[in-house]
Amino acid sequence: MSGTLALYQKELTSYFRSPIAYYVVAVFLLGTGYFFLYNVFLTGETGMAGTFQNMGILLLTLAPVISMRLLAAEHGAGTAELLLTLPLTPWQIVAGKFLGAVTILLAITAGTLIDLVPLYLFGTPETTTIVAGYLGFVLLGMACLAIGLFFSTLTHNQIVAALLTAAVLLAFWFVGHLQTFQRSPELRGLVGYLSFALHFTDFIQGLVRTEAVAFFLIVSAIALTLSAGYLQWRR
Amino acid sequence: MSAPSAAIALESVSKRYGSKRIIHDLSFTVEKGEIVGFLGPNGAGKTTTMRMIAGFTAATSGRVTVAGFDMATQNVEAARVLGYLPERPPLYDTLDVSAYLRFVARVKGVRRLAIATELDRVMAACRLEAVVHHEIYKLSKGYRQRLGLAQALLGAPQVLLLDEPTAGLDPGQIQETREVIRAFGEHHAVLLSTHILAEATLICRRVAIINDGRLLAIDTPAGLQRALEQTNRVTLQATAPASALREQLLSIEGVGAVDVRAAPDDHGVLTVDCQVDARPGVEAAIARAVASRWDLHRLERRQPTLENVFLQYVQEPSARPGAA
Repeated sequence: MSGTLALYQKELTSYFRSPIAYYVVAVFLLGTGYFFLYNVFLTGETGMAGTFQNMGILLLTLAPVISMRLLAAEHGAGTAELLLTLPLTPWQIVAGKFLGAVTILLAITAGTLIDLVPLYLFGTPETTTIVAGYLGFVLLGMACLAIGLFFSTLTHNQIVAALLTAAVLLAFWFVGHLQTFQRSPELRGLVGYLSFALHFTDFIQGLVRTEAVAFFLIVSAIALTLSAGYLQWRR
Repeated sequence: MSAPSAAIALESVSKRYGSKRIIHDLSFTVEKGEIVGFLGPNGAGKTTTMRMIAGFTAATSGRVTVAGFDMATQNVEAARVLGYLPERPPLYDTLDVSAYLRFVARVKGVRRLAIATELDRVMAACRLEAVVHHEIYKLSKGYRQRLGLAQALLGAPQVLLLDEPTAGLDPGQIQETREVIRAFGEHHAVLLSTHILAEATLICRRVAIINDGRLLAIDTPAGLQRALEQTNRVTLQATAPASALREQLLSIEGVGAVDVRAAPDDHGVLTVDCQVDARPGVEAAIARAVASRWDLHRLERRQPTLENVFLQYVQEPSARPGAA
């Protein structure tokens, strides 16, 4: 446990001693701020639904940037040889790494709370809907980062890790659109079920469905298990 | 082979990458309180063997144990008693020196209250005091190497694996680093790989010679030299008919195989390698026998320095005496 904690703290230190964390925070908060202003002042929305939708898409581009260095950088710099010969199990390594990335996610999410100030000052937004949206955003982010962590374990090259992650995340996001082309109800159901966008939309609309919560958690669990399994296997 | 006391034990270890076999049936042990040198040319399999002992890669077959822990199943337990300096020092460039060492100490399970003392100890041993708060990416090669060593010493591991620990150091630093290793090796088991023979002779109690993934010999430096004395060589150059010269040489007591070569541009001068045994005076007998009948241009007895021993083992596996 203390090993995981030490690794987690090292991850956070590494993030903030490289430009990546600052880049992610800046792009995400500027982007979200812009979308919020656009949605509230130009379309007159009095909630966060539109902004959440934009945050989701922004996340697809930023999650690979957060996750790409997690293990690829260790392989590339030769520190994997230290990390994998320290008294840490593959699961402890994966946990420390994942929690580090999730902390960055939580930090950028917390940064958007400032948008709620004008919303509550000048209107009466539905608190439950907003809470559901934030929950969905964090769950979506966890799934994206877990997938990114998996691709980062596979390669020495951070860019390759980021590109693979982005491709897979985009596929999961847009797979729901294939519904239009499916005749068989089973296939329609399947592509709908796999869609990050459709599950996330439920949350934005204030629906916290067990199915959607479970979906994001299961995707995360599968990606993390594959990462730990791969670390064990490559020995 | 696997005495329970052995700090490191390899039993018929092999390693394959795909169809390529890197390590063949390697067996040896390192006991507590000894420093064993691992000698071999580049690409001999030293680093792969180190990685298998460290638990970074698994053996394809055979068994590696460290302090009694089987690396195939108990590598995490073994990692607690193991210090490892890979060939390339595993440093996090984004951290500073003390943050890096603190991270490794914590993961190795050094108690929180003991961490500061432990850091001071390894930084003093590796002369890192001047760079405690420097960021790692700014460090010179020598400092990086010593920081890698410091990391391996954290937590006073029972077993220390050092893959070319003095690479990239200047002569003064090499001296200091050898002292650190020697002091550490008095009470712990150390396996260090190197291709510097002098290093092995200076600080190692035993030397293992490896080439093409096979263990060629393991003995004390003195023992390896002694073993080679039987196949000591005398090299001479003479102007003589080849067959008569060969016959003459073979008739001398103490001369084993004779290899006569004629270089085309040497105008009839033959170069001869004789394998001789360790008795004194063989080269004098050869000199007398050749010089009495023909022109002897040069005669040299090759001393069995560890350098020669090493080359002999690595170049001519068939010529080695039945050691190890």
